[in-house]
Order: sequence, then C-alpha cells, then structure tokens
Amino acid sequence: MSGLLESAPLALMAWFLGLLGAFGVPAWALEAISALISIGAVIGVFLGLFALASVMERKILARVQNRLGPNRVGPCGLLQPVADGIKMITKEDLVPRGADRVVHFLAPVVMMVPALLVLAILPYGRGMVPAELDAGILFFFAVGAGTEVAVFMAGWGSNNKYSILGAMRAIAQLISYEIPLVMAGVTAAMIAGSLMPSAIVAAQGGFAFGFIPQWFVLTPWGFTAGLIFFIGALAESNRSPFDLPEGESELVAGHLTEYSGFKYATFFMAEYVGMFAICGMLVTLFFGGWQAPLPFLTIVPSWAWFFGKVCAVAFTMIWVRATLPRLRIDHLLAFAWKFLLPMSFAAFFSAACWHFAGRGWAAWLLSLVVVAVPYLAFGSHFSSRFSTSRRTYRFSE
Amino acid sequence: MMCDPLQSLFDDPVKFLAPWFVLVPALVLLASAAAAAVMRNLIHAALCLTLSFIALGIVFIALGAEFVGLVQLLVSVGAVAMVIVFAILLTRPDQLEQSRTALAGLRPAGGAAAAFALLATLLGFIFASPLAGKPLPAAAAAPVAKIGEALMGDHVVALIVTGVLLTAALVGAAVLAMEDRP
Repeated sequence: MSGLLESAPLALMAWFLGLLGAFGVPAWALEAISALISIGAVIGVFLGLFALASVMERKILARVQNRLGPNRVGPCGLLQPVADGIKMITKEDLVPRGADRVVHFLAPVVMMVPALLVLAILPYGRGMVPAELDAGILFFFAVGAGTEVAVFMAGWGSNNKYSILGAMRAIAQLISYEIPLVMAGVTAAMIAGSLMPSAIVAAQGGFAFGFIPQWFVLTPWGFTAGLIFFIGALAESNRSPFDLPEGESELVAGHLTEYSGFKYATFFMAEYVGMFAICGMLVTLFFGGWQAPLPFLTIVPSWAWFFGKVCAVAFTMIWVRATLPRLRIDHLLAFAWKFLLPMSFAAFFSAACWHFAGRGWAAWLLSLVVVAVPYLAFGSHFSSRFSTSRRTYRFSE
Repeated sequence: MMCDPLQSLFDDPVKFLAPWFVLVPALVLLASAAAAAVMRNLIHAALCLTLSFIALGIVFIALGAEFVGLVQLLVSVGAVAMVIVFAILLTRPDQLEQSRTALAGLRPAGGAAAAFALLATLLGFIFASPLAGKPLPAAAAAPVAKIGEALMGDHVVALIVTGVLLTAALVGAAVLAMEDRP
C-alpha cells in the first residue's frame, strides 16, 4: 500500500506516456509531453497551496489574535480564495497618469517568472525532481535574483514617492539578506559535496542508532545555518518582521501602492509561491527534504513528508508574523550585516570543522564550540548597549 | 530536396532547433545592449542592460556552460544591475546635467572608440587562445565539482588574490562611507 502511494505519481505518468507511445507518438513528443505534465503538476500544486495559504494565514492570524477570521464563504470559510479571486479579476485595473506604463505593466510579470522557475529544481519526493540540474542550488539563487529587478520596476514604474521608497528599502533588504542566505545554504552544499538538491537530500538519509534522523539541522552548524536561512527566507519573501518594503502603516504598501486588480493579485501570488519555494529550499537543505523523521514512518510517501514539512515551515512563518513587530530599516540592515553575516561565516567554519574532525561525537562538540563562542561574543557585545535593569515609569504608576 | 529541413524538424526537433536556442538569446543580447547604449531614459537603459545580462546568461547555458551562465545571472542581475539602479536613484537629475565644455560633443565618439578598443583587445585574446576555431565538444558541460576542484587546486592563487582584492575594495568603500567622528 505504502509502496503504491509512494510511486503513484511517477507510475501514473509512466502509464500515460506508455499509452501515448503505443499510439505511435514519437519519442521527442513524449519527452515534451512529460515535461509539460511536470510543469502543470508543479504549478497546479503550488497555486493550490497559495489559495490554501491565503485563507489559512488569515485564520491562523485570527486565532492568534483571539478572533475567528474568515468563516462566511463555504465550509469554515474555505472558499474564501475563490471569492478573493473573483473580486481581484473584476476590480478595475488602474494605472496612474504619470506612470511609466511599460515598466508598470511588466513588473508583476517579471515578479512571477523567478517565483515559478525556482520550483523546477526542488526534489518533491524520491525520484521526483522536475529538472535535475547539476548546479540546482546555484540555479535557485541565480533565478531568485530576478525578484529584485521586479520590485524595483514596480516601484519606479508607479511614479509615486511611497512606491520608490518601498522599492529602495526592498532592494537594500534583499541584497543584504541574500548574502547570509547564500552563505548558510553553502554549508549544506559543502557537507553534501554537491550543488544538486537531490544529492543533498540523499546525504541526509539514514538514521543514527536506528532512530535519530541525520538531518543537517540536528548538527550545531546545521542548526545555526538553518536558523540563518530561515531568517533570510523571511526577509527575501518580504514577510513580517521584515515587511518594511510594504509597510502598510507608513508607506501604504510601498511598491504595491499603485497596483490594483489582477496585477496586485499577481504580486500577491508571486510572493506566496516564492515563500513556499524558499520553504522548500530550507526543507531540502537542512530538514532532510523528503526523508521521513523516524524509520517506521517511511511508510508515509516521501512527497507527503516534503509537503508536510513545507507547510510546517510556512506555518512557522505565519506564527512569526503574528508574534513579532516590524523592524526599523536601520535595525534591519545592521542585523543583517553585523550579526547574521558573521554568524553565517561562523556556521561555515563550524561545518568545515565538523567535516575534518570526522563527523562523530568529537566533531559535534567541536562544531558546537565554534558556533557558540561567536554567538555569545556577538550577543554580549550587542546586548551590552541596552540596560537590563527594571524600567521605571515616571507618569503611569 | 525542398522538404529536407521540414523532415528533420519532424524527426528530431530538439536537434533541429538547437542553434536557435543560442541565436535567439544572442540576438536579444545584442538588441538590448544596443538599446541600453542609446536610450535617453536612464532607468530604461539600466533595465535594458539587465535584460542583456539575462540574455548573456542564457547564451552561456545554451552553449553548455551551465555554471558560468548561472553565476552570470547571480552576479550581474542580482548585484551589478541593482548597484547601477541604486546609483541612478541616489544621484539627483540636476547633477546629471552635461557639462558644456568644448569637448562635450566628442563624448559619444570617445565612448564608442573606447568600446571598440576593448572589443578589439578581447577579440585579439580570443583568437590567440589555443581553443580558437575548434568546434564545440559534444559534452560541453563540465560538472560543477570539476570547476570547484580546478579553482581550489590549480588556480587557488588566482582565487585568493581576487578575494583579497575584493575585500580591499569592500574595506575601502566602508572607509569612504564612514562618517568622521570627533
């Protein structure tokens, strides 16, 4: 039963292609059709996840704030995305008179392209990679760089000072957080000895003592790098507490101010798909990809584990949004350059120590020391500026 | 023999279309680079330059140099294009006013001359290399691991020297940007 479910998607596709082949469809057409099926499946799944996330995010935020959230449309409000979609399509598409019309029009399109392209290299399950690239991790970050161009185009094309301010904040933030993000990702590639996502997942397979999964996040360097990657992922996908580029309260949604109707929906969609993609990358690099957490749980199909983990990370992101206030722009940039970047170097060095000390218990302890010492040093350095004595209120008491 | 190309299109379209995977991005590259050079609107010129960076990356990938193409995208689109855009945004339009000197009219000609001199130098090196004129090898894509071993093995001195140079540039930029505190 488990084996059947495990291989069901691939077997279904092989059966369909075999059927077409029996009807005399040439080999190149079969290849093209198989590629198109993969593309369609991936886009379909992620747009479904987007629809689900848009309503679940509101419901989770509502629960955190002790209210109910959307519950009017369909059972438990689950048809809310449909209502939202109809609203977005039927809204008037406004373009400001002073806008740079071509750039304004192209920005949402350019935003969507990298968000969808990066989905190609993620390993969704055992043997389920749409595009098996030798430099898959590099592809992810290289194509992801296109997002910055799109945000800038949106900000500039709108010809609005709030938009341009939002776009400049966004670019400063994206460039700053890209460096710790990539440095953290490099550690996993370095230990796995490959830039191929499926090889990195394979390197995290197996269980120590028969029950401890060998995910990278369970090593000191992997935990540090995974945490840095998570923080960088929050910043790259413009999620709170790093959502200053949008900053509804002071910038009226930044680069999105002048967008309405379906163009706004496209931005929204690209942001959510990008968020799921980077969650998938985090899961692939540090949380063992599609590997099951315990030996007896391998009966659950691998793709279910992958999407389960992605949803868990996405839930954490929503939880963080509900919990933390928005940062100030100088705090945000100082945090990236003065803390995350040195810590990502420490994680890098720690991973190297772990590798050369033989990857055993001694290596585990050594890499813990290599990460903990800089963490404590930076932590005490930055917290020394703040007094921890009891705050006295002059007027309220 | 008129139907021959069509026949090969039907038999193996991937092989038939392979040259176009290189030619089309190459044409986009040339057109967008030319547009970037002549456009009056600076932001449009910067965006055209970004498009030419992307097209160049695609040309590399289509030729089988996957690693070089992806690094091209990461560095040029992710960093260089954004720095150009930042520079445009941080300078005020009145600072961009062309100086009215006697030599101002010679500026486009001087720029073109410098560009062609650079092109001639590059072409000279390309044709002087031992690889010039040889056909593309069938398995062009070197695995990333091989490139990494070459960088960390035979060419490690060049890698370290480049790293030191970039670090020096970064420190220099930080020093220039630092406010003088009494």
